[in-house]
Amino acid sequence: MIGSEIVTGLTIGAGYSLLAVGVVLVYTSTRVLSLALGEMGAFGFYLGVKFYLHGVPLLGWHLSAFEAGVTAIVVGGVLGFLVERFIMRPLTARPGIDKLIVTLGVALVLALVELNFISFDPYPAPPFLGSGHFVLLGATLTTSRIAELVAAAGAAAVLYLILNRTKLGLATRATTSDPTVARLLGVKVNTVYRFAWMTAGGLAGLAGALVSNTNGVLLPFSLTTALLSSLAGAVVGGLDSLGGAIAGCLVLGVVQNLAQPYGIAYESGITLVIVLVVLLVRPQGVFGRSSAF
Amino acid sequence: MPSEASGFRWPRVETRSIPGLTVGAIALVVVLAAPVLLPSFKLDYLETAISFAVAALSLNLLVGQTGQLSIAHAAFLGVGSVVAVELGSRGLAWPLVFIGSMAATAVAVAVVGLPSLRIRGLQVAIGTLVFQAFAIDLANSTGVLAATRSFNRPGYLQSAGHVYFLSLAVLALVAFLLSRTRATRAGRSFVAVRDVEARAAAFGINAGRTKLLAYALSGALVGLGGALFAFQQNSLGSAVPFGLQPSLLLIAVVVVGGARSSVGIVIASFFIYALPSLAPAGLSKYIQVVFAVFLILAVLFQPEGIGGVLKDLNHRLGDLVAGPRERPNPRPMPTDPVEKAHSATALRQVPRSLSGRLPVPALLSARDVTVQYGGVQALQQLNLEVRRGEIVGLIGANGAGKSTFFNAVSGLAPVRGSIRYRDRELTIAPAASRSGAGLVRTFQDMGLVRADTVRENLLLSQGWLARYPAAAGILGLAGTLPTEKELRRRADMALDLFGLDHLAEERLGDLPYGTMRIVEIAAAVAAGPDMLLLDEASAGLTPEEANQLGYRFNALRDELSLTLVIIEHHVPLIARVCDYCYCLESGRLIAEGTPAEVVAEPDVIESFLGAGSLKPARGSV
Amino acid sequence: MSAAGPVPNPLLEVDRLCSGYGSLQVLFDVSLTVGPGEVVALMGSNGAGKTTTLRTITGLLKTMSGTVRLDGHSITGQPPEALVPQGLVMVPEGRGMLRELTVQENLELGAFTNSDRASVARLMDQTFTTFPILAERRQQKAGTLSGGQQQMLALGRALMAAPRLMLVDEASLGLSPIMTETAFNLIAEVNNTTGAAVLIVEQNVLALDLAHRAYVLEKGQIVATAEGAEVRSMQGRLREAYLGAGH
Repeated sequence: MIGSEIVTGLTIGAGYSLLAVGVVLVYTSTRVLSLALGEMGAFGFYLGVKFYLHGVPLLGWHLSAFEAGVTAIVVGGVLGFLVERFIMRPLTARPGIDKLIVTLGVALVLALVELNFISFDPYPAPPFLGSGHFVLLGATLTTSRIAELVAAAGAAAVLYLILNRTKLGLATRATTSDPTVARLLGVKVNTVYRFAWMTAGGLAGLAGALVSNTNGVLLPFSLTTALLSSLAGAVVGGLDSLGGAIAGCLVLGVVQNLAQPYGIAYESGITLVIVLVVLLVRPQGVFGRSSAF
Repeated sequence: MPSEASGFRWPRVETRSIPGLTVGAIALVVVLAAPVLLPSFKLDYLETAISFAVAALSLNLLVGQTGQLSIAHAAFLGVGSVVAVELGSRGLAWPLVFIGSMAATAVAVAVVGLPSLRIRGLQVAIGTLVFQAFAIDLANSTGVLAATRSFNRPGYLQSAGHVYFLSLAVLALVAFLLSRTRATRAGRSFVAVRDVEARAAAFGINAGRTKLLAYALSGALVGLGGALFAFQQNSLGSAVPFGLQPSLLLIAVVVVGGARSSVGIVIASFFIYALPSLAPAGLSKYIQVVFAVFLILAVLFQPEGIGGVLKDLNHRLGDLVAGPRERPNPRPMPTDPVEKAHSATALRQVPRSLSGRLPVPALLSARDVTVQYGGVQALQQLNLEVRRGEIVGLIGANGAGKSTFFNAVSGLAPVRGSIRYRDRELTIAPAASRSGAGLVRTFQDMGLVRADTVRENLLLSQGWLARYPAAAGILGLAGTLPTEKELRRRADMALDLFGLDHLAEERLGDLPYGTMRIVEIAAAVAAGPDMLLLDEASAGLTPEEANQLGYRFNALRDELSLTLVIIEHHVPLIARVCDYCYCLESGRLIAEGTPAEVVAEPDVIESFLGAGSLKPARGSV
Repeated sequence: MSAAGPVPNPLLEVDRLCSGYGSLQVLFDVSLTVGPGEVVALMGSNGAGKTTTLRTITGLLKTMSGTVRLDGHSITGQPPEALVPQGLVMVPEGRGMLRELTVQENLELGAFTNSDRASVARLMDQTFTTFPILAERRQQKAGTLSGGQQQMLALGRALMAAPRLMLVDEASLGLSPIMTETAFNLIAEVNNTTGAAVLIVEQNVLALDLAHRAYVLEKGQIVATAEGAEVRSMQGRLREAYLGAGH
């Protein structure tokens, strides 16, 4: 039934948009494309699950499954802080390709640590949201799928409110528009960068917990693969437009889900074709500003 | 280690090079003796490392030289391997299999790299990342990685030792091809696209085609690596290293090895692909993580990577052996007038076809030239003429449209109206054809490649004279070597002319700003132009250097028979040097005439001092 | 150089400032002062180093040597965001509009470092009274304003910080002669009503009409100064600097 396929696709797209929001936030305020967000999110959840299964080292107590999820968010935020402060800030004056490569380096380090020091086998994700399911428009959605939808909508709403109703949000929009002018007005742009990275990291942690929950397992690089679709969605919708990126992810989720019955190669194949076509025909994305490219 | 040789000349062995060469020789002996020193299963690890070193070198062409990022090179390696196994299992001779893999992978990489024709940013990297995921999915779903097919190695290449030496031969070939690329027009174009892409057309370079060539070339080389890998393994299985993690590791190898150093990359490849298997068991996982951390550290602190460290070491050893090197005087030296005259005449000999009679008197004529960016009219109905042998000045306040006019003439701005040069309409010709036609320009903020040496920049600017196809250059085919020699000769003459020959091997970015600007003029002259467009040549010069510049302009006209159009903010310089002068304001011509006439015009004075400034000052009697 | 003695207790004191970009030195021992409540003009043609001077003072560009003092305290090398709370505000070249943000948001950002909401509201009211055109367009995006309106917004935004010293970089750029005169008049008015000192950097000689003192910058060096009545007659000196001697 096409209706149920579309609904399922939308929830998949919602999961992607959690990561895409982080990518766009970092990109618009710092002009850096962060490919590290996938692993930053996964790393947090890895630690959470490890503490859930084996207990926190030196303290002994085991986290509940829910607390494992919270750990993911917190660790993601902390990683965002560390990356911004110690890696991205010294590189402000360097060309974009250096900054992009260093985010790949961060992703690689995190994934290798996960692989070599945490676990080699697929890590079981504790079902911290229970295992019920709802039926919507003929589509069977597990609670974790619903959670993804809710989280994405919630994150988008909260971010919208922050950006448009708070001083920090105003400072972020000013920095996005023109960092030099923002500094001349007294905006501490380093604070804005920190906010962007920490929020993106926290959202990535949330995405890591939820997506792993849906898939049931956690693997190194599996979240970076999810990040790919987020990036593709953001490219289609517009890398400098939050709303556009979310829309792009939702559309991509639906398209991928419709292609899925034909085989996994068709899913990623059609993603590839869409990305290449968009880059060739309208590189700034459907809702992006053409001046940015 | 000797520096990259451009052209086949045995490098002179100086005393200071001896320690480096000795170390290199020892390393070479160890490498060649490996089959004797190692059991054959360990040799396998070395061979795998060599295949990945080839992939890393091919990635370096894209990342290090051309500034394009591919996050899918392990997948492309896989493409090469899969194609090789398919072709080999059908009984094709192994050299043809290798060539087939190269061709197929070159096409694949070029297709994924197509967006680079359209965009300058890094979004192309996202396309490669998506391809990486797609390739793995495709391989898994079609089962091409099943271990049922085998390459069918020929009998005479079955033993471990033979495979090893074949691998070394392929590695040596790839390194050689890369050094040939750097030494010819193709490599110079890649670097120009990396550093000064928006202006590469000034050197006769078509940026889009250059990027595509880089992708295709990188694809061919990584395909070769893939074929080699398939040859070594004989058959593939599901545990092949073509996924995202290997692609990221390849990037790490390129960065840690050093983007300008093939030796560094090969060493880094050894560390990441061979060492973990050769080292004791528990250590291997640490090696990978440490390496990834080195990637981050390298970007932060040592962008030249292992190659840079080795170069530094080499210099220090050389200093120890032969004493510290003398730093050359970073300013131009006085020149010999006889040599100068000779060089000047020789530089004028260029193969340029003259179409039709030279119309007298205008060499360049602009009629109703209009340039519009969005809603802004940068130039409006401009009429301007430059006659042979003149020095014409273009002045005007900020935003008057002076540089825009140069952009219009050099093809970097959308133009309505007519611009004729030597009676040929320029507005319909591609931007990269200007220098070939005889029109060369410089840029307000120095459009050369700071990361290259002075001489390399002078080779770059002669792009239109290197009339050989890129592939022929890389392979060193007939005709390319004499051309490269000729380019070098011209470059050296131009350097002589400006007193810069002692700085030929110096990195441009290390020189003082004033010297850099003179190098830019020398580079323009090396291209053998008829007409030189100089954009703010005096910007950033000390008053004394600016003074000298005036004499240089005259010398360029008198000794090299050049026609000059110069943009200048410093009006007194214009007054000294120019025969004729145009003054622009907000895209319109507001005055023309001799400098003395123009500077006295009320409109011009108001343009510079501010509108209404000629009214009696408020409050004065 | 004509005799223009240093102002006692200057608000801004720039002493032998040298700066540039990498290996390119642009400023050579530039020294100038601005007294409290004064309007000082720094004149020069393109490429003279005017914008470089302001960028160095505000910390956007690193100093090679020399000092900058605000009210006696050294601010050399301090980042721009630290200067607004100290009362130093800059209106950048091209007016520095945050194009996607509304007029109101731009003004709010002018008072960004002010945590007293009541005083911010008061300042906002004052600004809208001074510039009624901005009040009409408070929800409009700054990028859609005309050049003259943007100039007003830039000045209004600077006023929101209740500055002691305003640096204005080439206010006349891209403005018609009438709008330029209006802009200069506004600046003079701001100086009169709020007592804020102004360092106005300009190519247009009309700026001399509002200045109490003036300096001429040529190729990175101060080549002339004047004060009081002499300022008006600098026009000739400027013509010489811009267009060459003998005129």
